[in-house]
Amino acid sequence: MMEDLRIWKDVERGQAFEIEVDGVQVVAYEGETVAAALMAAGIRITNKTAKRDQPRGICCGIGLCYGCTMVIDGVPNTRACQTLARPGMRLETQKGLQRWEVRE
Amino acid sequence: MGSEGVKDPELIVIGAGPGGIAAAVEAARAGVTTTILDENPKPGGRIYGQFNDGFKLVNPKFLGPDYEKGKVLLAEFDTFRQKIEYLQDTLVFGTFENRIMAFHQAGKGHRLPFNKLIVATGAYDRPVPFPGWTLPGVLTAGGAQTLVKMQRVLPGKNILFAGTGPLQLVVANQVLYGGGKVEAILEAGEINNWLKLLKGFSRNWGLLTDGLQYMRGIRKAGVPMLRRHIILEARGDSQVEEAVIAEVDQDWRPIEKTRRILKVDAICIGYGLVPSVELKRLVGCKHRYEPYLGGWIPVRNENMETSVPGVFAVGDGAGVAGSSMAMFEGRIAGISIARSLGLISSEEAGKRKKPYLSNMKKIRHLRDALDRISYPRPGLFELANDDTIICRCEELTLRDIKKAIRKGTSEMNELKRMTRMGMGCCQGRMCVPAVQDIIARQTETPAAEIEYLNQRPPTKLVPINMLASLPGEFEIRHGW
Repeated sequence: MMEDLRIWKDVERGQAFEIEVDGVQVVAYEGETVAAALMAAGIRITNKTAKRDQPRGICCGIGLCYGCTMVIDGVPNTRACQTLARPGMRLETQKGLQRWEVRE
Repeated sequence: MGSEGVKDPELIVIGAGPGGIAAAVEAARAGVTTTILDENPKPGGRIYGQFNDGFKLVNPKFLGPDYEKGKVLLAEFDTFRQKIEYLQDTLVFGTFENRIMAFHQAGKGHRLPFNKLIVATGAYDRPVPFPGWTLPGVLTAGGAQTLVKMQRVLPGKNILFAGTGPLQLVVANQVLYGGGKVEAILEAGEINNWLKLLKGFSRNWGLLTDGLQYMRGIRKAGVPMLRRHIILEARGDSQVEEAVIAEVDQDWRPIEKTRRILKVDAICIGYGLVPSVELKRLVGCKHRYEPYLGGWIPVRNENMETSVPGVFAVGDGAGVAGSSMAMFEGRIAGISIARSLGLISSEEAGKRKKPYLSNMKKIRHLRDALDRISYPRPGLFELANDDTIICRCEELTLRDIKKAIRKGTSEMNELKRMTRMGMGCCQGRMCVPAVQDIIARQTETPAAEIEYLNQRPPTKLVPINMLASLPGEFEIRHGW
C-alpha cells in the first residue's frame, strides 16, 4: 500500500479521486493542492534542474521559490503548491525548464 | 472596473492578510470606495487563511488562538462586503509610470490606475543557503506550516526543525498534535532569554503566551529541544536522509567537536521572515536597511505613508512585526487615507487612531527586544561552502558568486548581469538576502550600503499571451 502522511484529525476531506504521476495513480482529495497530494504519498521530487540535473521538490510552499514546478496537464513550469488537484490530472516530473507549446 | 462607465476606486489595497483587511475596513467605514486585490482564493492571508473548498473543519482547536482572532477580523470584513470590492486570485505583477498598475486574473491581464494605494504584501521565510538546502524534503517553516495546517499533510515521517523564534514551535506542535513524529527542534539562539521575555509581556501579546503553551506540548511529547544548536548540512541521495547538526557559540558558529548526525526524512528551516518589497520598489518607495526587521523596509511616516505620496505600506512587508502590529498599522493607514480624502475631520481621525497607536506602543518594545534576540548572527551566513547553490533558479554556487565579485564588482545589479543571479523564476526572492551578505563580506562593505536588485515587472511569472493582450500602453519608470 502507498504511504499516507495525511492527518485525519479535526477536518473532513472532500471527494477522493485519482491523479496520475509519471504514469502511476495517486489518490487526492477535493481541496488538496498537487503538492499536498504528492507529499502525502511520499513523492518528494517534482523536477530535475536544467544545468546540474539535481532533484528538487516543495520548498517554500507558498508559490515564491518555484522549486516545485512540474508539467501539469502538459503545461511545464507549473507550481505544484499553487495548483489544486483535479480528477484525472496528469503530472510529470519536469526535466529542466522545458518549453511552452504555442497554441493558435 | 477600469472599463467605461465604472468609476475607479479611490483606494486600492494589495493583499488581504490582517494588515490589508484592517486598512480596507477603516477606509470603507469612513466611506472611501475601496478595492482589495488578493493573490489568494480567500481573504485572511497566511495567518488567517481559510481552508480550500472540499475541506470541512470539524474541530478548530488545533488552529490555536490565531483562528479566533482571524474569525473576528474576517467577520468584521464581512460586514463591509457591500462597500469593499474583493478580487480573489488576483496577482498584481507590476506598476508603471503615471500611477498605473497591471494585474492578472483568470488568464486575463488588466490595467488599473491608482491614486491612494496600500501595499500589504506580507513577508516570507528567510532563505538560508547551507549544504544540501536544495534537497527535496528541506522545507521552509512557513511552507511546512501551510502543508500541516491548511492541507493536513505531514512533511515527513521523522521531522527535524531548525531555526530560531516561536514559529517553529508552533509548527512542531501542530505536527505533534496531528500525530506526527519530531526528531528534534534546534534553536540557534538563547531560548532562555526569550522565554523570560514572554513571561514578562504575556498580557500584552497573546502569541507569546501561546508560545509557552507550545513549549509545554513539546516537552510533554518528549521531543528534544536543543538550544544553541544549528543545522550544518542536509544529506541524502535524491532526498533528505540525514542532517548534520552542531552546538553553536553566541555568534552561531559551530563548535566542531559537538557535530553529530540525525536520521530524518524532512527538515523545516525557520530563521525568521524577510519582507516582500518588490512592488514597493517598483512604485519607487525609498527603502532603508533594518536587519532587526528582516532587511530592506520602506521608509514611512507616522501615517504609514511611504516616500511616494499616497502610497502606504503596512504589515510584515513593511518590517516584520507580526499580525497584531499589521492590523494596527492597517487601521492607521485606512483612517489616514479617509482623512486625506476629506471624509472625516482631523479630530475624528485622531480619535479613531488613538486606541491603535497606544496598542502599537505597547507591543513595540517587546518586539524590539525579541528581534534583538533572534535576528540572524554571522555564523548563519557562513554555512554555505563553495559548492553550495546560492541562486536556486540559475544554479549558481557560492564559488560562482565569489568569482564574479573577485572580477571587481561590488554591485548587486552588475553581479546579476555577470552571472544571471536573480534572473530566474523567483526573481531574486530566494538568493538576494544571502547575496547581499556575501557581497558585504567579500568586499568588506556594510550590508546597508549594498543596493538591492533593480525591480522590473513582471514581479512573478505570468503567461506571455496575457501580457500581449493587455490593453493600452505602459510606460516603464525611469531609472531602470
